[in-house]
Amino acid sequence: MKREPFFWVTISCGLVIMAFILLPLIEMMTAPSLAMLKETIQDKDVVRSIWLSIYTAGLAALISFVLGTPLAYLLARSNFRGKRLVEGIIDLPIAIPHPVVGIAILSVAGKNHWIGQVFSELGIRVMGSVTGIVTVLTFVGIPFYLNATKNGFESISPRLEKVSRSLGASMFSTFFRITFPLAWRSMLIGIIMCCARAISEFGAVVIVAYHPMIAPVMIYERFEAYGLKYSQPIAVWLVSVCLALFFILRILTIRKPKEV
Amino acid sequence: MKKKGGYKWLLGLVVALILLLPYSNSFGGVSGKVIIFNAGSLTIPFARMEKEFEARYPKVDVLREAGGSQKCARKITDVKKPCDIMASADFTVIDKLLIPQYADWNVRFATNRLVLCYTGKSRYANEVNDQNWYKILDRKGVVWGHSDPNLDPCGYRGLMVLQLAEKYYKIPGLYERLIANRPKENIRPKSVELVSLLQTGHMDFAWEYRSVAVQHDLRFVELPDQINLGNYKYDNFYTQARVKVTGKKPGTFITMKGKSCTYGVALVKNAPNAKAATAFLQYMLDPQGGLKVLQEMGQPPFIPCRVPTAAMKALLPTELQQLVEVKD
Repeated sequence: MKREPFFWVTISCGLVIMAFILLPLIEMMTAPSLAMLKETIQDKDVVRSIWLSIYTAGLAALISFVLGTPLAYLLARSNFRGKRLVEGIIDLPIAIPHPVVGIAILSVAGKNHWIGQVFSELGIRVMGSVTGIVTVLTFVGIPFYLNATKNGFESISPRLEKVSRSLGASMFSTFFRITFPLAWRSMLIGIIMCCARAISEFGAVVIVAYHPMIAPVMIYERFEAYGLKYSQPIAVWLVSVCLALFFILRILTIRKPKEV
Repeated sequence: MKKKGGYKWLLGLVVALILLLPYSNSFGGVSGKVIIFNAGSLTIPFARMEKEFEARYPKVDVLREAGGSQKCARKITDVKKPCDIMASADFTVIDKLLIPQYADWNVRFATNRLVLCYTGKSRYANEVNDQNWYKILDRKGVVWGHSDPNLDPCGYRGLMVLQLAEKYYKIPGLYERLIANRPKENIRPKSVELVSLLQTGHMDFAWEYRSVAVQHDLRFVELPDQINLGNYKYDNFYTQARVKVTGKKPGTFITMKGKSCTYGVALVKNAPNAKAATAFLQYMLDPQGGLKVLQEMGQPPFIPCRVPTAAMKALLPTELQQLVEVKD
C-alpha cells in the first residue's frame, strides 16, 4: 500500500520532537563518569537533598490529593456561575513565573502581613524551612492534580452515581464505593503529575528556602560553586530516582487496562 | 537570451547587496547585540548605562545577565555561553578565572563598601547605630543574614566585616558568637535576594553593599572605614580577615583574604561582537558616561580607571587606553 505524504509528515515531525527531547537529556545523563556518580552518591549532602526533594514533593501531592479531590469532583459534576473563573484561577500557578511565586508566598508569610504575623505567633516559619518548601511545591503542583482528577471524574457517567443514590446510598458512600474505584487511576496520574512538577521546581523554592537544600537547589549551588562537572552527577541521580519512582507508579496504573 | 538571464541574476545580487548595506558592520557605526554578564550589585547602574548607551547607538542592543560574579565567570569558562563583557564585583575573580584563557586584561573601575541594612519594621530599628550594631546582632530573636560566601563575594565580605569588627572593637570571640546567632537558613545565594526578605519582614538585618542599600531605599548603618572594606588605605588591616570558601571541587577550600571592594571589567577574548562591546566600554569608563552613573548610584568610581601594569594597558584596545591609568 502506498503511504500518503501526510503519513511521512507526521512521522518526521514525531522523530524531530523525540530527538529534541531525548538528545539533550541523554547527553546530560551520560556525561558524568561512573566513578564520579559513585563519589556523588556517597556525599551525605547530596543524598539528603534528593531525599528532601522526594519527600517534600510527596507531601505536596498528598496535600493536593486531600484538598483537591473534593474540588475536582465539584468541578466535574456541577455547573455553577463563575465555574470558568474558578478553573482559570486553578491554572494561574502554571502561568506565573516561578520566582514571582516565591516572592508572592514570602510576602504573605512575612511579618509585614497579618497572615505572616499569625504564623509567627504560632511559631510557623516559612522562610528557609521544610514548611516553606512544601507550601511552594503545593502551589505549583496542585493545578496538575486538579486537572487530571477532574478529567477522570468527568469520564465517569453520572448515571452510575444516580443509580447508587436511587438505591439508597448516601453521597458519601456513593463517592467511596462507586466514583473513587472508577477514578483512582486518574487520581494516581494526577499525583504523579503533581509530584513531577513539584520535584522539578527550582525558581520559586530558591527564593523561599535556599537552606535546607532540595536537589534542584543543590544542583544550582554546585554548578555555581564548582561548575558543570560537579552539578551534573546530582542531576543524573535525581532524574534516575524520579524516573524509577514514576515508572513504578505508571506500571501500577496500566496493569488492568480493561477497566473504565 | 541565455546571456540576458545571467545579467538579471547579477542585477538581483547587486540590488540585494545595496539593500543590505545599511545593516552591514563594516560601514561606519557599530550595531548588533552586546552581551554583558554583570555582578548582581551592578544591575541597577548597568540598566541605566544600557539606556544611555543605546540612546547614543540605536543599532546596538545591550543584553545583560546578572548573577554572582563567580557564576558569571563559570558561564564563560564552563558553559561557554557567548559573552562580550564581564563585570565583576571582585576584580580578582577575573584575574583568577578568566585571565589568560578567556580575557587579556582587567580594568578596575569602581569601589563599594559594606553596610548593615534594615527597614523601619526591623526589630530594634530605632536603637541600632554604628556603636551598638554588633550587640544587636548578638541578641536572641534577631534574624540577620548574608549571602552565600561560596557563591557571592558579598557573602564572604559580610563575614570579613564581622572578623574585622572583632579586632577593631577588641572583643575576642565576637565573630564566633555572632555566627552562632545566624542559622544556616538565613543564607541566600545572592545578596540582592536578602532585600526582599528585609522588605517582607522575614529578616531584620542583612549585609549588603552600600550601593544596593541606596538603590533599594533601605535604611543602613555605616561602619568605620577600618572594617567596611571600602577604603583601600586600610587594605593592610583588611587582609587580617580570612574566610574559607569552597575551592575547585567539593571538599576543597580556598582562603579569601580581606581587601577593599573593587569592581573589575574585562572584554571576553572571543567576544561575538567585540567592536560594539569596545564602544560600550568606551562609554562606560568615561567620567562623563558610565562612571557618572556609578557615582549617582552609590558606587564611587575610580577617575580615571586603573590597570595594574603598563604591559596590561598596552593590551587594551586603543580607544580605551586613554581612559585608564597604571596604578597598583
